[in-house]
Formats: sequence, C-alpha cells, structure tokens
Amino acid sequence: MTNKERALNILRYKPVDRLPAVHFGYWGELLHEWAAQGKIPLELARNWGDGNDYDKELDKIIGWDFNWQHMRGCSNGLYPGFEHKVLEVLPDGARRVQTYTGVIERVYPGVTSIPAEDDYQLKDREAFETLYRPKMQYRPERVNREYFASFSADTYDVPVGLHLGSVLGDIRNMTSVVGMSYLMYDEDETLFADIVDTYAEMQYQCVEEILKTGAKFDFGHFWEDICFNNGPLVSPAKFEEYCAKHYKRRTELCRKYGIDLVSLDCDGVIGQLIPIWLENGVNVMFPLEVGTWGDQFEAARKQYGPALRGVGGVDKKVFAQDKAAVDAEIERIKRLVDLGGFLPCPDHRLPPGSKFELVQYYAEEIKKIRL
Amino acid sequence: MFEEISLLIQKGKAKDVAALVTKALEEGAHPSDLLNAMIAGMDVVGEKFKNNEVFVPEVLIAARAMNSGLSVLRPALQASGVKPLGKAVICTVKDDMHDIGKNLVKMMLEGQGIECIDLGVDVAPERVVEAVRESGATLVCLSALLTTTMMRQKDVIDALKAAGLRDKVKVMVGGAPITQQFADEIGADCYTKDAASAAQAARAILEQQAAQA
Repeated sequence: MTNKERALNILRYKPVDRLPAVHFGYWGELLHEWAAQGKIPLELARNWGDGNDYDKELDKIIGWDFNWQHMRGCSNGLYPGFEHKVLEVLPDGARRVQTYTGVIERVYPGVTSIPAEDDYQLKDREAFETLYRPKMQYRPERVNREYFASFSADTYDVPVGLHLGSVLGDIRNMTSVVGMSYLMYDEDETLFADIVDTYAEMQYQCVEEILKTGAKFDFGHFWEDICFNNGPLVSPAKFEEYCAKHYKRRTELCRKYGIDLVSLDCDGVIGQLIPIWLENGVNVMFPLEVGTWGDQFEAARKQYGPALRGVGGVDKKVFAQDKAAVDAEIERIKRLVDLGGFLPCPDHRLPPGSKFELVQYYAEEIKKIRL
Repeated sequence: MFEEISLLIQKGKAKDVAALVTKALEEGAHPSDLLNAMIAGMDVVGEKFKNNEVFVPEVLIAARAMNSGLSVLRPALQASGVKPLGKAVICTVKDDMHDIGKNLVKMMLEGQGIECIDLGVDVAPERVVEAVRESGATLVCLSALLTTTMMRQKDVIDALKAAGLRDKVKVMVGGAPITQQFADEIGADCYTKDAASAAQAARAILEQQAAQA
C-alpha cells in the first residue's frame, strides 16, 4: 500500500494496513538547530521547503512518510503584487516595508517572528478601485497551462493537492485584522462584499482553468488562518454572509472534476466555523491545533460525524519533552484514529526546541499503529 | 442620554458617540457620569466577547467608538479633576511581533478608564523597567503569542525585581500559549484568558491598589 493510498483511504473510511507518518514541516530555526547539533546536513536546513527535494531527503532521515503540504497551484494572489520596498529606516534599526499585499510592515533586525503591521492601504472604495481591483482580475498568465496539462497526482505515491486559494485570509493580509474589522462593520459594507467577491471570482477562475487542463489532484486545499485562541476572528454570521457562497462554488467545481476531499488550513480554535465550512463542501480540517490553542477536534468529530475529517491534531509541544510525553500523546490520538477519517500530524510546524530523536521516535511509533 | 451613549459604544458608532458626548457636555452633564456610561457600554461588549456573542471586529469598533468619545471627553475630565483609574504599561515581549491581542487588551483597559503606556512589540525588559520608573505605572501587562517567546515574560519580571520595582507593580500576563500554571511558575500576579477578562482584572487590581494607598 502506498502512502497516498493510506492517507486517502483513512480520509475515505476505507481499510488501510497502518498509519502513515505525516508532518507539516518545520520552523527554519529548528532545522538550523538540528544542523548545529550535527543531526542533519546544513544544506537541508538552508534549502528546505514544503514538498521540495530537501523536504523529501529530510523525510528519509527522520522517518516521515510525507508532508501534508504537498500542493500545486498558480498565481492566485494580487497580480502583479505591490512592489516590495523599504519605505523608511527608523532610528532603532527597524525598517518600514511595503509588502506584496500593500501592507506596511515594521521589520525589526534579527527578529524571526512575523513582522508588525504598521499601516495598510486598502481602506476605502478609492483604494480598492485604483490600487486593488486591477490586481484582483483573472489573467491567463496566472495559470501555467502547459505544466498542468501534463500533471497528474496519480504519478506520485503521496497525496498531492490543488491549492484553491483563500476566501478571507488573503484579504485579512491586505487590510490587517483592524482594517478588515472596520471595513466589515463600517457604513460602506457593500465595499467589503465587493472586495471579497472580486477576489473570489478571480480565484475561482484560476481553479477552473487549472482543472480544465485535465490535471488530476487527490484533494483540494484552502488556506484561511482566520481563528485565534478564543475562536474565530470574525463572527460566524458575518463569515457566513460574506464567504460561504465562495467555498460552495469552489468545492462544487472540485467535485465536478472528481475531487471529493477538500481540506482547509486554519490555525486557532476553529469549532464555530466548522459547520459553515462543512455545509459548503470543505470536509477536512487542518492542522487542528490542540497544543498551543486547545482546539477540540474530537468533540467536533463526534458532533458532526463522519462527514468531518481531520489532518493534524498532534500536540507539537511534546517533541520538546521526553519519550513518555510522546507516548502519552500517541495514546491520546488513538481515540481520534479509532473514530476514523483522522490522519495524525503535528498540529503545526515543529518549533525550535523540538528534539530530533523524539521526532524520529514519533515517526517510528506512529507507523506501528495498525488499523 | 447615558443609556444611548452606552448603546452607541456597543454598536461601535464612533461619530455618533463623539456627537452625543459633545451635546451632553454642552447640556451640562458631568464628565465622570459620561465616562461611566461609556465604560458601561464597553463592559457589555467585554462580557459578550467573553461569552462568544461578539467577536474581535465588534470589540475593535466599540473600542474605536470609546476612543472617539474619550477624545471629546478628556479635556472636560481633566478640567473637572477626574483622574484615570490608574496607569498600566503594556507591551508584547522581546522577539515577538504579534500585536493584535496586546492592542485588544489595551483598548479594553482604556475602556475601563485606565491610562495605558503602550510600548509596542518586541520590547526588551529594560524598556519596561524604564517605562514603569518614568510613568509611575502600578500595573504591567505582558503579551506573548509564541511558545518561543513566552519565557520573555519571566525576563521582564526578573528585570523588575532586579530594579527594585517588583513590589510596586502587579504583573499581568496573557497570550495564546500562556496558562495559569505558567503564570504561577514565572511569578506573575495575574493571568486572564481573553481581553475582556484582562480589563476586568486590571480594574480590580487598580481599585485594590487605590484602596490600600
């Protein structure tokens, strides 16, 4: 049985021989830690990326079967993006930078965490019409038809997904949470709907163009990141009002082309948005952050039944502890595995401090679980 | 009119709040009564936020409305001798750039009539010490989103101890990976799960400090 068959069979409630050892990549600092400890070659730390050759090499060294983030897609963001440029260097050494999304970030030297948002440009109708709408249009050059015409996930022994884009997360990245909030609730609510609909139409056309080439995929995949430790960043009612139809449209398109599994990457506590996603065709939640954020996938799985699948749900913090902690976590997730439709995977990228031997141990142990 | 101001805060109607506060002042309303009406509005928003009845955007627009009203009210408050409930130094700790949670807490604290000295993100312990010294703040609020930066909260507490200021301030901690157990381990005085609870806890701490003074 291949790892593709194992993963897809689990998500389709079909028999498998054993669990595959699935991961969601690493923080760059961790790979450099491991390289400094002599666990992995520095070249892998420097060049690693989701699904690339270095990722596969690392899989062999650690014992992973594959990285869930194995996607293909196109230029489905702002096109062209804003020019990435330094606007100002501040006295403390921080740089004010205009990013690809038009947001102005404050980047501090030596800090590897995400930059601080300083300002944003998508504030009103004029900014949308002049700066953003032209960059949100579908253009043929967004999709490499030649590549997709000869692409088939069937030639891979791991699941390969089609990236379906993002309904709200990308727009949040253009406005910041504060800006998105003001746009959603201010007097001109039609503007926010217009932004969401314009962007979604472009992304729909991108997905359609890819699928029309005859390319085959194992699953579709959205990225959102619209929740935090206390639940959704926006009210479920507003989320449904603005976004539901766009999930439905894209997932229906996937099904028309034979893609029955659609996963969605959303950090944080996602429980309140699950019913909206589920009703609109998204049926695999990822990465189920049980550790840092306390997400409760088990309860949701019991509530919504087999229609709801999950990938993730393994507390990544145990890899900084000891074998007993890893054993206890494996024991805990066996309950979820027994429910079916659940593929265990660390609940986000492995952070600095994760012990190489414990990660190897986990990968080895998870593969021993027979189903 | 006070009830209307409270409702407008809850709905996040910034312009309407400013207009109504202006009108109320012109008609002779006492600034502290208006402030209390605004705080009452934010209290309702905070309670609904805790109960998942409203979400981050509603809190943000309510806080913006609160600030709009405060900008009109502040000169009148000063003129009538009404002082803020207390002062808090607030920041996201060193090496951490996340500011949404910190900003939410700041807005909610201001909504309780607490003056905030916002040091921003990626703040070194010595800057917190300096800000406490300069401002005389009696409350320090520390945010960390990452498991890799949460220990920086302890660094700040250690720096306050080293500077001889630990007994003069209460330290509140928060952020996604923070738990009550972690707060206890690093010697923080208070941990809250969300911004609304943080504002209530801050008010209780400052009121207790005022009562003991």
